[in-house]
Amino acid sequence: MQGGGRVRSRSLSVTMRRSAMTLQNNMAKNQRGEAAPSSRMTGRERQMGGFSLLLESSDDEGPEEVTFEDSKADARRSMKRALDTARREKELLKEKRRKRQELFQEQKKRKLLSAEVLEEIDSTKQEQSHVKAEEEAEPEEVEGRKRNWKQNAARNLKGNYTVTTVKQSTLASSQLKAAEDFLHSRMYGPGSRRTTSNEMLSLENKMGKNKSAAVQFVKKNWACQKKAKAEKLKKTWIHMQQIPSS
Amino acid sequence: MGEFKVHRVRFFDYMPSAIRAMVFSTRTERLALARADGALEIFNFSDNYFQEKVLPGHDGRAVEALCWVGPRLFSAGLNGEITEYDLENLRPRYTVEAYGGPIWTISVNSQGTLLAVGCEDGTVKMFEVLKERIQFQRNLDRQKGRIISLSWHPSGTLIAAGMMDMIRIFDAETGRATHRLLVDRGAGASKSKEVVVWSIAFLSDHTIISSDSAGKVQIWDGLNGTLIRTHLITKWDVLALSVSQDESSLVAGTSEGTVVQFQFISSTVDRLDKDWVRTRTFKNHSHDVRALAHTETAVVSGGMDTQLVVRPLLDKVEKNTRESAMRKVSFPHRSLVCCAKKAGLLLFQFPDHLELWRLGESDGYGKLGGSLPVKRGPEKLIQLKRKGEDHICCSALSPCGGWLAYSTVTSFRLYRLQNGSISICKVSKLPKDLLPAHQLCFSTNSSKLFASSSNSSVVVVALNELECKYLGTLKAKYGCRQPVHQLSASDNGKWLATANTDCEVHVYNLDKLKLHCTVPVYGSCPTAMAIHPTTSNLVVVHADQQIFEYSLVKKEYTEWSRRLQKQGLHSMWLERDTPITHVTFNPKNPAHIIVHDMFMFCIIDKSLPLPEAKNVLYNQMALRSLPEPDRVLHSHGFKICKDFQHLLCVSLLEDHSLVVVERPLLDIVSQLPAPVRQKKFAT
Repeated sequence: MQGGGRVRSRSLSVTMRRSAMTLQNNMAKNQRGEAAPSSRMTGRERQMGGFSLLLESSDDEGPEEVTFEDSKADARRSMKRALDTARREKELLKEKRRKRQELFQEQKKRKLLSAEVLEEIDSTKQEQSHVKAEEEAEPEEVEGRKRNWKQNAARNLKGNYTVTTVKQSTLASSQLKAAEDFLHSRMYGPGSRRTTSNEMLSLENKMGKNKSAAVQFVKKNWACQKKAKAEKLKKTWIHMQQIPSS
Repeated sequence: MGEFKVHRVRFFDYMPSAIRAMVFSTRTERLALARADGALEIFNFSDNYFQEKVLPGHDGRAVEALCWVGPRLFSAGLNGEITEYDLENLRPRYTVEAYGGPIWTISVNSQGTLLAVGCEDGTVKMFEVLKERIQFQRNLDRQKGRIISLSWHPSGTLIAAGMMDMIRIFDAETGRATHRLLVDRGAGASKSKEVVVWSIAFLSDHTIISSDSAGKVQIWDGLNGTLIRTHLITKWDVLALSVSQDESSLVAGTSEGTVVQFQFISSTVDRLDKDWVRTRTFKNHSHDVRALAHTETAVVSGGMDTQLVVRPLLDKVEKNTRESAMRKVSFPHRSLVCCAKKAGLLLFQFPDHLELWRLGESDGYGKLGGSLPVKRGPEKLIQLKRKGEDHICCSALSPCGGWLAYSTVTSFRLYRLQNGSISICKVSKLPKDLLPAHQLCFSTNSSKLFASSSNSSVVVVALNELECKYLGTLKAKYGCRQPVHQLSASDNGKWLATANTDCEVHVYNLDKLKLHCTVPVYGSCPTAMAIHPTTSNLVVVHADQQIFEYSLVKKEYTEWSRRLQKQGLHSMWLERDTPITHVTFNPKNPAHIIVHDMFMFCIIDKSLPLPEAKNVLYNQMALRSLPEPDRVLHSHGFKICKDFQHLLCVSLLEDHSLVVVERPLLDIVSQLPAPVRQKKFAT
């Protein structure tokens, strides 16, 4: 009835519960004589042992007048509340599931999109080869197509990325990589207590008869790309300077 | 003697590869060595430790272990394949997939009939060794961990397998695992990591010796499965073990670079209670020792510092003789640099690419020993990356700088260089007969290319503007199977000399495309040779440092050569431990022969008297301090200069300037991977 653990909401006031329980107890006692109430009830009673003691005092005054309709309404209300919460939770779950589904759809669409881009680029590349083949025959059309391809290329390949095919990594190569990683981690991984060749040479230098500068005194491989770029710029500048003079 | 302007070249970033595995064959006296990039090298220990053959590597071959089965060489790698090699054509003969994941070890039984491989998935697979191939026989009982090392019992009935945390003994006939020997983990921090039994040896008295990653060498009783003794030799891993043929001596290689020897001797005079006792420690390496071989008289070790060290054991050889000296092989015994004499270009051969450089220029005049101001620095013109996964076997540059060729095991490529060697274009439509070559050589006028191929034959092609036409094949006499490793064409375009690893030297007449003569066979393998431009004398230098001069016109040894043989070479010359890798001549002085090895280059003046045994060989410094007239009295024909170290190539350009390509060993050592951190007192 008030059905044990079913009712989860703790909003019920203690008094209500208490009164309902005592009422039932009394009813039970009246109806069935000394039939022992359910163990749940006894548990509850024990829980509220303190309260029941207080109750004894108020019990003497006579039970409160709570009508059957009232208690029925109470029970109905609590049940409705329970059903409500269950429904709410179900709806929440549904929402979550729907959202996840949408996310997957979106990701799928995104994947498809990139493939489309690749196809487009592929088709433009094929166009370009066609262009090269028909070069002698139709120069003007070739120009047009070329321009088109260039535009396409500019549109698709903006930014610093290129389109390449991925090398098919087989099972054997992944196993090889795993084995090499195992070997590397055993020899050079954490706990291997290693130092650098430079330090070893420095130690030898320190303990040797003739002490000299460290082997890698100056780090020569810093900013390689920048240096190469600077070199290229210098060459082009010199070239440009020479052109007006020649 | 002569003053030379020297181009000191130090921009060849040659980086050798680490030694991964090695195995010695007592029957053929050959050591096979596998490097980390998949290259294999064969050393002839009876011929002054000469590097006879080099098989180029392959991306993804990852050789982990090698095995000799009689004269056949097998390797197993982390790519899961067992490969047999064709040592006459310097290529893999075939590969067999083991289907067990990466293979960690390979071992053959003493009868030579069964090959056992240890795989990542925990199986020991047995392969039958047949005449032309190997065939899978069966798997032994599958284990839960990976099999890292294997060792057959000499009777062929038992196999000991080193795994993670344990050693298993298998019965080879039934395939069942009979014993399980548990290996202790290390103390302290390494207690949580599994201990790896890196190497194992099964002796005939059923003793098992294992080395593991906790730094221990343990001696076990294989019959009962019990531990007899533990020797803690290092704080790091003990990566390799090798037992001598007579099972009285054992060497263990560690990550510290030390090699520890154990000997089975008795502590008292009483011969009964013999025990494995730690005797010697060798510290010949700076980095991990990953491969060991115990020959009858020496301990051979190699590892991450890429050097091969042969340490003769002083109880097996005479003290203070040439045999008892320690040998270190650091550089390959063949030339990786090709110099275009007319154009002043250098071609550097790397395993995966080629680099073409133009030498710098200098105007100034300086005094002896000083450095000249550089007007225009050296320039890298072309970096050519190879196609495919095979590493480059050989390469050549024509003297005029107009042609470039390289060969791998599977392909051959020829390129035409134009516009002062800046633009490069590939020559397609090569003749079919131009199969992958072991050695390449251009003729001096750049009109012909010679490529050595199988059975000691040489393919000749003619080079025109942009195409290449097959001219003919020069065949040696029937029965020559060994590969040709030296090719030399004469300047006048008439002669071509070839030398193969069987010590045979053949000379061909290029006008008739036929064999002209065969130089009498000398017991040692030729390491370098060249034909004199004017006198047409063939100068051959051998692995035991002997020099011969053979007249091609008269088909006999020259008078100078006979005189040299009669007197004998100076003992200091014969004691040098690196072979001569290049012979060249001086156009201004026909009596000069310029040779070099790793530590010195020498100008041999045939017009001067030969050094006698009592003379000092390295007398250049002494001569310089003497006044002019006295110098003539004391000088001899071998003028050696040790100013430049460590030499990869010495060549003479047309403008009479010397090109010296140096690669100091210190530069190589500074780029090696991490060694172990050793705490030394007061540092």
